[in-house]
Amino acid sequence: MEFFVASVVNGLLYGMLLFMVSAGLTLIFGMMGVLNFAHASFYMIGAYLGYSLSRFMPFWLTLIIAPLIVAVIGMFVERYILRAVHRYGHMHEVLVTFGLGYIIHELIKMVYGNYAVSYQTPESWKFTAFTLFDTTYPFYRVMIAIVGTLMFSLLAVLLRYTRVGIVIRAAIRLPKMVEALGHNVPMVFLLVFGVGAWLAGMAGALGGIVLVTNPNMALDLGIIVFVVVIVGGLGSLEGALLASLLIGLLSTFTVGIQVSMADLLGYLGWINASSGSGGLMNVKLSTFAAAVPMLIMLVVLLIRPAGLMGEKQ
Amino acid sequence: MKARYLIWLLAAAALMLVPLVSTTSFQHALVQAIIFAIFAASFNLASGAGGMLSFGHSAFLALGAFATLHVMRGTESGANSVPTVLLPIVGGVIGLVVGLVVGYFATLRSGVYFSMLTLAFAELFHQLAPNLSFLFGGETGLSSIRMPSLGLSFATDLHVYYLVLAWGAICLSLLWFYMQTPFGRLTLAVRENEQRLRFLGFNIHTTKIIIFATSSSIAGVAGGLLAISNESANYELFSMTYSANVLLYTFIGGAGFFLGAPLGAAILVLTAFAVTNMTHIWLLYQGLLFVLLMMFAPRGFGGIIARNIELYREGRLRSLVVPYLLALVPGVGMLALVIFVCEALSAFLSREYAAKRVVSGGSFVPAEFLGTHWDPSSWVTWTLPAALALVCWLTLPPAIRRIRTLLSPHV
Repeated sequence: MEFFVASVVNGLLYGMLLFMVSAGLTLIFGMMGVLNFAHASFYMIGAYLGYSLSRFMPFWLTLIIAPLIVAVIGMFVERYILRAVHRYGHMHEVLVTFGLGYIIHELIKMVYGNYAVSYQTPESWKFTAFTLFDTTYPFYRVMIAIVGTLMFSLLAVLLRYTRVGIVIRAAIRLPKMVEALGHNVPMVFLLVFGVGAWLAGMAGALGGIVLVTNPNMALDLGIIVFVVVIVGGLGSLEGALLASLLIGLLSTFTVGIQVSMADLLGYLGWINASSGSGGLMNVKLSTFAAAVPMLIMLVVLLIRPAGLMGEKQ
Repeated sequence: MKARYLIWLLAAAALMLVPLVSTTSFQHALVQAIIFAIFAASFNLASGAGGMLSFGHSAFLALGAFATLHVMRGTESGANSVPTVLLPIVGGVIGLVVGLVVGYFATLRSGVYFSMLTLAFAELFHQLAPNLSFLFGGETGLSSIRMPSLGLSFATDLHVYYLVLAWGAICLSLLWFYMQTPFGRLTLAVRENEQRLRFLGFNIHTTKIIIFATSSSIAGVAGGLLAISNESANYELFSMTYSANVLLYTFIGGAGFFLGAPLGAAILVLTAFAVTNMTHIWLLYQGLLFVLLMMFAPRGFGGIIARNIELYREGRLRSLVVPYLLALVPGVGMLALVIFVCEALSAFLSREYAAKRVVSGGSFVPAEFLGTHWDPSSWVTWTLPAALALVCWLTLPPAIRRIRTLLSPHV
């Protein structure tokens, strides 16, 4: 029971972080049909900025400024780089964002070194939120989940009930038509790109403390975020939330389960449990935790190609 | 057409003779260059010719290397006796088999979905490999020793070089003939218009699987050669680094040209080798070069060369000579500026410099980069980049304007 509750809490937390990064990505993907490979790099920039800024200013101010800087970087990328290669086609847009991710990775390594930096919860924020089965849950982790939930609610309300939101949703479906109706679609793209980058930066500034801030964090999270976008469905915010939580929960559960094939067969009385080591039979289920998102994606692609909440293209 | 044969003959002679007069470390770099040229050529088959952009091509390089190492270990212990010269075939076979399976799933979707699927598969291998120690040797990896074969001892890099060169020639010719066959044309057609092919009655899924598996099979051969050359491999071969680099090599060289990918890979690998002692941020420059090319010359260096040959045939190249020379001024200036800024940042932000500052009591001591010491309190350090920036700012716009007017089709 304790394992179950702890896994659920940690899974939800990880899921909310995933959602914050993937929300912007899925909206941009839906609107422009461009998968921004540099999106996870925005998350990494957010984490490193959070680390740098928190040494000079109070932590709450860091959480406001770092994501804003990331948003400005994101808007710059959309306006001056992505828009310039738009005429060469989708493949080139993907290639350019891929190249940007590569450059950001190298820049981070150059500025901060090729090792993890010690980005930690400020002392004044270190207190316990609640205790469950003798395990204390720090306030900070709970706050991440709350911020994530707030972001989702805010975005959902914005997209559903405001005029800008309606234009954005329309632009996701039929950008040409929306433009013909006289809306400034490039401006909407720029805005969504900025908001997406801002969210990723926020996830980085918050999550860099929980997950380690190192030069490979963009790649590690980036792959899972792509999986979230595919599983959730193109341009669907609800899908992104659902997929994030699903993947967050399943990953945390598999990490915690130390069972191997040999144990299972031994339990059923078929063979001697845990005889020898190193064979396929003795590989623990937990070692496959990193592979869980990929397996989910393969299954979804095979049985429901448009994603959980996506519509048929 | 005689000139063309002469060029090929000279290139072949250079490839045969250059390693004889070069140092061992350069021979090793040449071996790596040819292996990555093969790898890039295989990548270009699926991604450049077939239009299926793969982000996980390193998986096949790594699988080829590990399969070859297992066979090499078998030969070492006497369990089998595969001659060293034929070992890359093992890599090719495993690349083909896994390529068929992965290709079946990955090619279910096209476009960016395909790219993400390949990325996911490669990452799957990367995550699982260190845990499956009976296959991939855990974190340390596998190692073995090359056996003599065909009267060659394979004790030196020179012997390995000729083996790799021979296999490079075989792979590139195979790919060249592949492109000449009707199926080669079909590969290009998949990139150009999938929908129309479907209407013409082709089975797109099968076609794509065959293209993907062929490409991964050649990548497996490259992996086999890598295993022979390094005599070891570990799970880091599966990492994104190799997939990303091969993508950069291919698109910098020019994905639309047969020789673009292999030449791009060979030249970039050799450049990386040449500059190792001068800079440690070469990958940053490589990334910058890639993004700049994708923004301003989307067909890569191959495209730039092809365009100028076109202009030469039309007789317009002559009028461009002077503007090109004028553009050289801001071009070289910008290159110098970028290198200066990057090297300066890299030096001033490094751990060594921070340590130096602590030793000297927190003052800004001179930093060493680009071969000399630069004092941050001296005016020279700051005037140089400022002057470069000024020169570029003044000379770049007119040069670009002039070339643009001359290149525009109406002239």
